Amino acid sequence: MTLNFFDQFMSPTHLGIPLIALALSLPWVLFPTPSARWLNNRLLTLQGWFINRFTQQLLLPLNVGGHKWALLFTSLMVFLITLNLLGLLPYTFTPTTQLSLNMGFAVPLWLATVIIGMRNQPTAALGHLLPEGTPVPLIPVLIIIETISLFIRPLALGVRLTANLTAGHLLIQLIATAAFVLAPMMPTVAILTTTVLFLLTLLEVAVAMIQAYVFVLLLSLYLQENV
Amino acid sequence: MAGHDAGMHQFTGIAKYFNAYTITGRRNCVLATYAGIAGIFLLFKLKPKKQKAVTSS
Repeated sequence: MTLNFFDQFMSPTHLGIPLIALALSLPWVLFPTPSARWLNNRLLTLQGWFINRFTQQLLLPLNVGGHKWALLFTSLMVFLITLNLLGLLPYTFTPTTQLSLNMGFAVPLWLATVIIGMRNQPTAALGHLLPEGTPVPLIPVLIIIETISLFIRPLALGVRLTANLTAGHLLIQLIATAAFVLAPMMPTVAILTTTVLFLLTLLEVAVAMIQAYVFVLLLSLYLQENV
Repeated sequence: MAGHDAGMHQFTGIAKYFNAYTITGRRNCVLATYAGIAGIFLLFKLKPKKQKAVTSS
């Protein structure tokens, strides 16, 4: 019986062996391998349709230089969405509740976009740190503010994903515990709580998908500025 | 995207290089601000610290 609400966020181990690698590699085995056939089964067709549609939608605002990132963005999106959705199953560990993992994704990818911008178009990359038409007395202040906002980006990316998923999981556990405890004492209230739990679970499914999409979308926007 | 407004403004003097309208002007403002911050930091770092005189009690 879980008494501590934060046990679900502990990195899983079994007999001292860390299972985080298993948790991270699990999504890979759940997806069917694309075949060489012209017409595939329903699952493969759906997977191919989703990947093509998502990639097309994401790369629409990017110019040709940014299209190299298509594989990275799509695979990151599929990875995050799978981890988030699998984590909603009972008694599963959600790796994306770990800030270290999310920062491990956010910082290198954000830094890559900044370095690409500085290498390929340094004038434009530096020039974007000052909004056009800024009054002269405000120029230094705004440059400092824009620089701070630039460096806050990877932090925001990582913390956004972590906080959304952690908060959602905590809420689900709290309300589920409340429903369980109330069931023998006040059945009517327990039924209402269970209804709230059901609606919250639906919300968390949506949040799981949206947060994965937002992560990748923001990265594509950062790339768009620098390519 | 970069420098699309270059022909609209006629700047003279220092404003030709430091302004908030052309992309090069904005870049120069950013670099000047960073240089200024670095200069202020170095000024305080390299400034000799005055030691208080030790008085016997």
